[in-house]
Amino acid sequence: MASATDSRYGQKESSDQNFDYMFKILIIGNSSVGKTSFLFRYADDSFTPAFVSTVGIDFKVKTIYRNDKRIKLQIWDTAGQERYRTITTAYYRGAMGFILMYDITNEESFNAVQDWSTQIKTYSWDNAQVLLVGNKCDMEDERVVSSERGRQLADHLGFEFFEASAKDNINVKQTFERLVDVICEKMSESLDTADPAVTGAKQGPQLTDQQAPPHQDCAC
Amino acid sequence: MDTCILTFSLLNGSDLLFAFVCLFVCLFFRYGLREFVVIAPAANNDAVLSESKCNLLLSSVSIALGNTGCQVPLFVQIHHKWRRMYVGECQGPGVRTDFEMVHLRKVPNQYTHLSGLLDIFKSKIGCPLTPLPPVSIAIRFTYVLQDWQQYFWPQQPPDIDALVGGEVGGLEFGKLPFGACEDPISELHLATTWPHLTEGIIVDNDVYSDLDPLQAPHWSVRVRKADNPQCLLGDFVTEFFKICRRKESTDEILGRSTFEEEGREIADISHALSKLTEPAPVPIHKLSVSNMVHTAKKKIRKHRGVEESPLNNDVLNTILLFLFPDATSEKPLDGTSSTDNNNPSSESEEYNLYNQFKSAPSDSLTYKLALCLCMINFYHGGLKGVAHLWQEFVLEMRFRWENNFLIPGLASGPPDLRCCLLHQKLQMLNCCIERKKARDEGRKTSPSDNVTNTYSGDAGKAGDQLGPDNLKDMDKEKGEVGKSWDSWSDSEEEFFECLSDTEELKGNGQEGGKKGGPKEMASLKPEGRLYQHGKLRLLHNGEPLYIPVTQEPAPMTEDLLEEQSEVLAKLGTSAEGAHLRARMQSACLLSDMESFKAANPGCFLEDFVRWYSPRDYIEEEVIDEKGNMVLKGELSARMKIPSNMWVEAWETAKPIPARRQRRLFDDTREAEKVLHYLAVQKPADLARHLLPCVIHAAVLKVKEEESLENISSVKKIIKQIISHSSKVLHFSNPEDKKLEEIIHQITNVEAVIARAAH
Repeated sequence: MASATDSRYGQKESSDQNFDYMFKILIIGNSSVGKTSFLFRYADDSFTPAFVSTVGIDFKVKTIYRNDKRIKLQIWDTAGQERYRTITTAYYRGAMGFILMYDITNEESFNAVQDWSTQIKTYSWDNAQVLLVGNKCDMEDERVVSSERGRQLADHLGFEFFEASAKDNINVKQTFERLVDVICEKMSESLDTADPAVTGAKQGPQLTDQQAPPHQDCAC
Repeated sequence: MDTCILTFSLLNGSDLLFAFVCLFVCLFFRYGLREFVVIAPAANNDAVLSESKCNLLLSSVSIALGNTGCQVPLFVQIHHKWRRMYVGECQGPGVRTDFEMVHLRKVPNQYTHLSGLLDIFKSKIGCPLTPLPPVSIAIRFTYVLQDWQQYFWPQQPPDIDALVGGEVGGLEFGKLPFGACEDPISELHLATTWPHLTEGIIVDNDVYSDLDPLQAPHWSVRVRKADNPQCLLGDFVTEFFKICRRKESTDEILGRSTFEEEGREIADISHALSKLTEPAPVPIHKLSVSNMVHTAKKKIRKHRGVEESPLNNDVLNTILLFLFPDATSEKPLDGTSSTDNNNPSSESEEYNLYNQFKSAPSDSLTYKLALCLCMINFYHGGLKGVAHLWQEFVLEMRFRWENNFLIPGLASGPPDLRCCLLHQKLQMLNCCIERKKARDEGRKTSPSDNVTNTYSGDAGKAGDQLGPDNLKDMDKEKGEVGKSWDSWSDSEEEFFECLSDTEELKGNGQEGGKKGGPKEMASLKPEGRLYQHGKLRLLHNGEPLYIPVTQEPAPMTEDLLEEQSEVLAKLGTSAEGAHLRARMQSACLLSDMESFKAANPGCFLEDFVRWYSPRDYIEEEVIDEKGNMVLKGELSARMKIPSNMWVEAWETAKPIPARRQRRLFDDTREAEKVLHYLAVQKPADLARHLLPCVIHAAVLKVKEEESLENISSVKKIIKQIISHSSKVLHFSNPEDKKLEEIIHQITNVEAVIARAAH
C-alpha cells in the first residue's frame, strides 16, 4: 500500500506500468457481516460459506477499466472484531473509498453503522467516499433490518446504499463500480478547482486594485 | 469594447491587471485612443534604449500595418519602463498618423499656460483653414501628494528588545506579526478638471489665469497603493519557507561534529539509566528549564570555544519556557497536555484546520515550535538560530525520555495521523515515555497500575461491570506478583517483564503449555485478570469468565504504517500470501489468547471466542431428551475450519499474563528511533515538516485581522486559500511552486487588509 500521504488519487507508480490510477478501498463493518466473502466474490468470483476470520488486515487487487483508464483497485479487508479497531483505523487515512457493511440478518451490526461512520470521519481523509452495504440479502427469511431502514440510515449519513449478497452474487460488482465512479467524480471535481493557475488568476483583480475609473489621470 | 493586447510576461494575474490599467489610462489620456495594440518589453532590462533600435521597431510596425491593413494604432514602448513612453503609428485609407511623445526635463515657460500650449498646437497642425475654428479644450490639474514621511505611520516597528519581556508589540512567541511595515499607500492624487472648454472663453497666460482650482466643475481623488508593501506576516512566512532550500545540516551550521557529540550523548544515557535505578527520586529543582539550558549551553561552549552561541540565553529561556511550561511549576512534571485558554474550542472549524492542512492543533507543542522557529529565523540569528533551537529541542526530548517526563502540549494516545509527521513522531515518543514511566513506577509501587489495561471493546461493552468483587481480586493480585517487578532489568529485554521466580514460571507457564489439557490447567493460579465479565461463565466448570489485562497494540506513525503495509502488500494476493500476512499480524491475537488463558485457567477456545468475537459462538435453543429447553452452543463454521489461524494460535498460546509476555511494542527501541530521527533532521527538513503549521498559523492570523476590518471579498479569498492549501498540503512532498503560490496569496490578502486598516 502506498503512503497515506502521497498523491491522493494514487498516480501511477513507476514500478508498475499496468494501470493509470490506483484507488485504495477499505471494507469495514462488524465481525461476521461478510466482508471477506464480499471481497472474494468481487476479486475472484468465488464463494465459500466460511472464510477464516480475518486477522488484522488483508487485501486483494482488481484492475478495472473506467473511461479508458486502467484503475487498479487495492481493496483492503479488515478484521471486524472490536479489538482490531486501533489496528485497522490506522489504515483509514490512505483510503479513497470505504465500503461500510452490515448484515441484514443481524441487528447489532446495523446498529454499529453509525459508530463505523464516526470512525471514518475521524480517521479518514475528509473527502473519502463511503457506500453503505447491507449484505446477505439472499437470507430473506432471517432478515431483521428492512431495506427501508438501511436506505434511511444511508440518507441520514449521506452515503449511497446497496443491498447485496456475496453468496448469490447480487450487487457486488455494482457496489464496487459505483464506488469507483463516485471517487472518479470527486477526483475530477477536485482537479478542476485545485489548479492554482486558474484560481490564482481569478483572485488577481480582487487582491489588488479596484479598477481605476478610466476618466482619471495617471501619474505620469 | 476597448481592445488592448499586451505582451507582458513574467507577471502574475494581479500585476498584469495593474499594468493593463496603467497602460490604458496612459494611452487614453495621451492620445485619446480607446483601441490600440502595444508591444512592450517583457523584462525591465530588455528596455528599448537606443534610437536606432527604436527606429527599426517603428519601421517594422509601419510595414506590418501596411501589410495587414490593420487600422488599429500600434504602439511600441521605448526607454525605461517607468517613463511610460509610447510611440506608435496608425494607418487608414489615405491617412497615416504618427504618435509621438516627448519628455522634457524642464518645462519651457510658454508651455506652462494655456495660451502658450494653444500656440504650439496650432503651429504643429499647420491647418490651412482661416480663420481657424475654435479649439475644444479639456483641462486637468493634478496635485500629487507623494512624500509623507513627516506624517506618522501607525504601525510600530517591532521592538526586538522588548521581546524577551514577552508582551510588547504583539511579538510574543507563539504569535505572528501582521501588517505593513511601510505605509501601503504611496501617493494621493487630487485632480481638478474642466472637461469642456472652448478657446477664448477663459484666459490663462503667463500673467493671469481664470483657472482657479476651487472653481473647477469636477474634482476627483485617486489613491495609489504601494506596489508591494512590505508586510510582516508575508515576510515571516516567506523567510521561513526559504529555509526549506538550505542544504546544511544542523552541525554544519553550528560548526561542530555530530559523531563526537553523539558518542558523548550515549555515554550520558547509560549514566542516566544507572542513576534511575537508584532509589532516590530526582530532585525537582534540578529539572528546571534554566538548569537544562545551562547544561546544554555548557556543552555547546565546550565545542565552540569562546564563540557566542546563536541564541542568547534570555531568548532561549523564554522560548523553552513557552514550549515547556510544565518545567517551571513545582509538580506537574507528568506533562498533562497543557492548553492555552485563548485558543478556539476543540470543536470549532478553526481548531480543526489542522486536519485540512495536515499541520498540528494550534495549542500543540509542534505548532508552537513552528512559530518559535519562524520568529527566531526572522529576528534572532536566522538559520543558525533555527539550528540552535532545534538542537536544544532535541536535547530536551532526550532529557524527557530519560527522566520519564511526558512531553507537554500533545494529545495523549497513539499518533494522530491527521497531523504532520513530526507531530506524530513527538506523540510516538510520548507513548514510549508513558509506557516506560508506567513500567518504572509500577516497579516501585504496585504492578497493577503498570500495564495500560483497558480498551474499549466487546470485552468492555457487553454489560461487564467492575464490581467491588473484581476490585478485590485485583488487589489480591497486586500483592501476589509484586516481587516479580524487581527483576525487570533492562529496556533491551524483549519481554514485557521478566520473572525472577523461575519456579513460578515453570509451574504456570511452560508445563501448563506442554500438557495443554484444560483439566490440568484448571488447577493453575489465575493471573493477569482485569475484571470479571458481567455474564459469561466458563463452559467446562461454570466459573466466572475474566477479562484479562492485555497488551495494547503498538502505536504507529504514518511512515511506520506505510512501511508495514508495504511489507504486507508485497506478500501478494495468493492464498499463501494471505496466510503469511495473517500470521505476521497474529502477534496481537496470540498475546490476547495467552493473557486470556492466564486469567482463566482451564478455558477453551469457545470461552475466548465468546469474549473476543461473540458472533463466532453460535447458540441455539434445543430440547434435550428430558424435554427441557437448553442452550446449546458451538463455534461458528469458520472457527471450526481445521488448522485455521485462530485454532493454531490457540494451540500455541501458553497461559502467560500480559506483563510477562514478549512486548508487542518495544518502547525503548521506538523511542531511540524517534530521537535519532529528530537528531538527523536538517533545518531544511524541519522547515518542511513545520511549514504546514506556519501556513496554518498565517491563515488564522489573516482571518483574525480580517474580522476586525470585515471585508467580504477578503473573506472569500481566505476561504479559497484554505481549500487550496488543504489540497496542496495533503501531499507528502508538495511542489515548491504551489507552496509559493499559497504564501503569495496570503501576502496579498495581508496587503489588502493593511490598506483597508489604513
